[in-house]
Amino acid sequence: MPQAPMPELTSSVKLKYVKLGYQYLVNHFLSFLLIPIMAIGAVELLRMGPEEILNVWNSLEFDLVQVLCTSFFVIFISTVYFMSKPRTIYLVDYSCYKPPVTCRVPFATFMEHSRLILKDKPKSVEFQMRILERSGLGEETCLPPAIHYIPPTPTMDAARSEAQLVIFTAMDDLFKKTGLKPKDVDILIVNCSLFSPTPSLSAMVINKYKLRSNIKSVNLSGMGCSAGLISVDLARDLLQVHPNSNAIIVSTEIITPNYYQGNERAMLLPNCLFRMGAAAILMSNRRSDRWRAKYKLSHLVRTHRGADDKSFYCVYEQEDKEGHVGINLSKDLMAIAGEALKANITTIGPLVLPASEQLLFLLSLIGRKIFNPKLKPYIPDFKLAFEHFCIHAGGRAVIDELQKNLQLSGEHVEASRMTLHRFGNTSSSSLWYELSYIESKGRMRRGDRVWQIAFGSGFKCNSAVWKCNRTIKTPKDGPWSDCIDRYPVFIPEVVKL
Amino acid sequence: MGIAQENRVEVKSMLTAVSSKPSRSARVHPFTALDNAMSPHTLHVIVYYPRSPFGSFDLDSVRISLSELLSMYPPVVGRVAKTPDGILEVKCNDAGLRTLKAKVCVGIDEWLRSADGHDESDLTAWGDMPEDPSTWAPFRLQINEFQGGGVAIGLSCPHRQADATTLTVLLKSWTEAQRRRCIVHPPSFSPLPSILTDDTDAVKPNSATISKPISTKTATATFRFSSSSFKKYIEEDGIFPKASPFDVFAALFWTRVALVKRKSHDRVCMCVDFRRLLPNPLPYGFFGNALNFSSLEMTNVADQGIVHVARLINDHVTNLTVEKIRSDLNRVGEQELMYGGDLTIVNMEHMIVEGDPMMYEAVFEDGVRPVHVSYRIGNVGGEGVIMVMPSPEKGFGRVVSVTLPEEEVSKLLVDQEILRFEPKIILSGVK
Repeated sequence: MPQAPMPELTSSVKLKYVKLGYQYLVNHFLSFLLIPIMAIGAVELLRMGPEEILNVWNSLEFDLVQVLCTSFFVIFISTVYFMSKPRTIYLVDYSCYKPPVTCRVPFATFMEHSRLILKDKPKSVEFQMRILERSGLGEETCLPPAIHYIPPTPTMDAARSEAQLVIFTAMDDLFKKTGLKPKDVDILIVNCSLFSPTPSLSAMVINKYKLRSNIKSVNLSGMGCSAGLISVDLARDLLQVHPNSNAIIVSTEIITPNYYQGNERAMLLPNCLFRMGAAAILMSNRRSDRWRAKYKLSHLVRTHRGADDKSFYCVYEQEDKEGHVGINLSKDLMAIAGEALKANITTIGPLVLPASEQLLFLLSLIGRKIFNPKLKPYIPDFKLAFEHFCIHAGGRAVIDELQKNLQLSGEHVEASRMTLHRFGNTSSSSLWYELSYIESKGRMRRGDRVWQIAFGSGFKCNSAVWKCNRTIKTPKDGPWSDCIDRYPVFIPEVVKL
Repeated sequence: MGIAQENRVEVKSMLTAVSSKPSRSARVHPFTALDNAMSPHTLHVIVYYPRSPFGSFDLDSVRISLSELLSMYPPVVGRVAKTPDGILEVKCNDAGLRTLKAKVCVGIDEWLRSADGHDESDLTAWGDMPEDPSTWAPFRLQINEFQGGGVAIGLSCPHRQADATTLTVLLKSWTEAQRRRCIVHPPSFSPLPSILTDDTDAVKPNSATISKPISTKTATATFRFSSSSFKKYIEEDGIFPKASPFDVFAALFWTRVALVKRKSHDRVCMCVDFRRLLPNPLPYGFFGNALNFSSLEMTNVADQGIVHVARLINDHVTNLTVEKIRSDLNRVGEQELMYGGDLTIVNMEHMIVEGDPMMYEAVFEDGVRPVHVSYRIGNVGGEGVIMVMPSPEKGFGRVVSVTLPEEEVSKLLVDQEILRFEPKIILSGVK
């Protein structure tokens, strides 16, 4: 982490900690008051002795009405308390789409198509080759059928059929796994950033599965790779309002219409990294799902850095000189991602870190402020707060950066790296492939906490914390079922193409 | 024939079909001296089905079985590269099989009746290897859909990389993979046995293979002879007991072509697959070229009776020993064109396994057998090629295709001796 931004960080962090300390004091004010009173009362009682206590009790002369009123009052207060507690949100199950082998893109095929299509621009071809060599992708990632054509045929029909293929396959699998009947779906949220036809993709799902007419459906578009967690946040809020309901979230990114057809180098980068994928997730607030749900949602923190111009423009969709639309990734993407991450973890840190870490951080803060400004800032150890990490597989650089910042070991980021290798960057659904990897390896135990971090254009950093509800047996089917034994693989720094 | 027609086949799209599993090792498939000798030629197989197994194409199960099959054939999805010494070899880099989709504006029956050799060549991809073959797919599949149903699946490759048996086994294995059956002839990439290669020199670097354009315009015609016509001939004309249908039909066409050419034309080149002729037979799945080209001479063949010629052919083929095959292999670099330098007769009897012709067993859906299978050789020399192929009906029938200069083919089409056998003539362009 560069030293220059640190003073601003510590000042903003300091402010946050002051606020949090103040909140702690206010929230537990009653306990802070009650404890001394109870202590004094207990001392008094002990001093008085049993006969004096009985005398005091008899002199109060309680009658029936007063007793009843008091008890009703107590019951009323406790009911209000339990009713206003936020509902527990469960993740019942989820399913990830596994593309057919015909959609596979070996390196040689990708480079050959690139050479054939960009035959007048050898420099752009060289650039793509260098990106692919260092990308961390493997030879089994998949692109939709329309992109396999020479030249690609990204028609609207092709985009719709890709959407139907990935979404319906994932949803069929989810319905089969959970035994849910389509007419029992109460809330439907579909997020796909770059393809937004009319009628929407959520309408397409409702049409295919004949969902109910009073379904609460939402279609999120344009929100980037972190839209998956935004959908989870929305589902959580909706499930707080609607009792006894379930919600299906479909996270995907449709590659077909967004394959960049020009030759501007910075805009060719997504072509090398983005791949086909989708995930369908079933969430519920029903008590009956308590036993079969896989996870409970503990926290969800959204951080938006859009107010800062540099962050806003760093992932920008625009036309190139020839009129081809593509996504321009700025060179300081990693720095901006780092800043967004810091903003997010300063919010989530106090929610999840054990008191010991927070105290240490506070003490180091105090130390740096008061005694020695040159003291290294204490980075809380998030490994104490979580057993598993799912870092959005946005690219090798993102995972490397986060591994360095959070001081994670190779095993912690294994799920992210292997998902990038096997499936590429599947945008909002990549977190679910990573979670599926951890489950397929048999590492998910009851009580384990998982941290999902996603970045998205805007620039956003969203994170979700899940707690595993029951030990998950290695799934027999799923996107990793035929290849999990080959993983983890060693991914070289540069693959010779 | 000779009437100019606009192209009835229109190529609509092109994509690359990939194998289902990455080939883990950076394998290299070398070429033998025989492979390199075949280099001016290209090979094309066209299988006609009355009903297409393809539907939407992008999501068909047939595509998935093709991908699974391609995993077993790394040289098919690889790319040709030159070593620093200038020797060509195949880098098995998984780049993929180029697949083209085309539409034919007539129905399959109309096509078989009225298309000629030039039309049929539109059903597969042609085109020689460029100077830089790194992005050029050697194996190309073309799916041609006829109006009203029916499909012609065309597979082409440089003859350097495979022979007709290899391509036939590949297509048949595809159908077996599609129907979830066991693959009867899995590919074998071992080199030619040492008994054949002991005396050959190391593979020499390739000279530039520029194909000489054939000066005369060639045409192709296909004659279908039924079992009964062969039996009729034996009853009428008598033949020695060991005569096979190949002997009879090869002799028939040799004599008639010699007559048409008006040369004494006493020498032919006999092309026989030697997979099963070795003391340790090579499996049918042997990948590459396993063809023996040998010369056969007879003076005044045009005046000879078919019986006499058939006996000569029979003797020649039966006497193909390992030593003869080896010596023919040693001389293989001497000819410039393996096919057509002399009139070439191609023997495909080995494709009939236990009475079943292999190419007609390539069935995607039960009950939908190919109605016809064509084999075409590209860059054939001026003397022409006669191919005696198995017939879709099992038994003694054969399908003979001739590729000769145009006037010779038109004379053959009205030749009385041939017509005596009552062939059904297809793909000759006759309206």
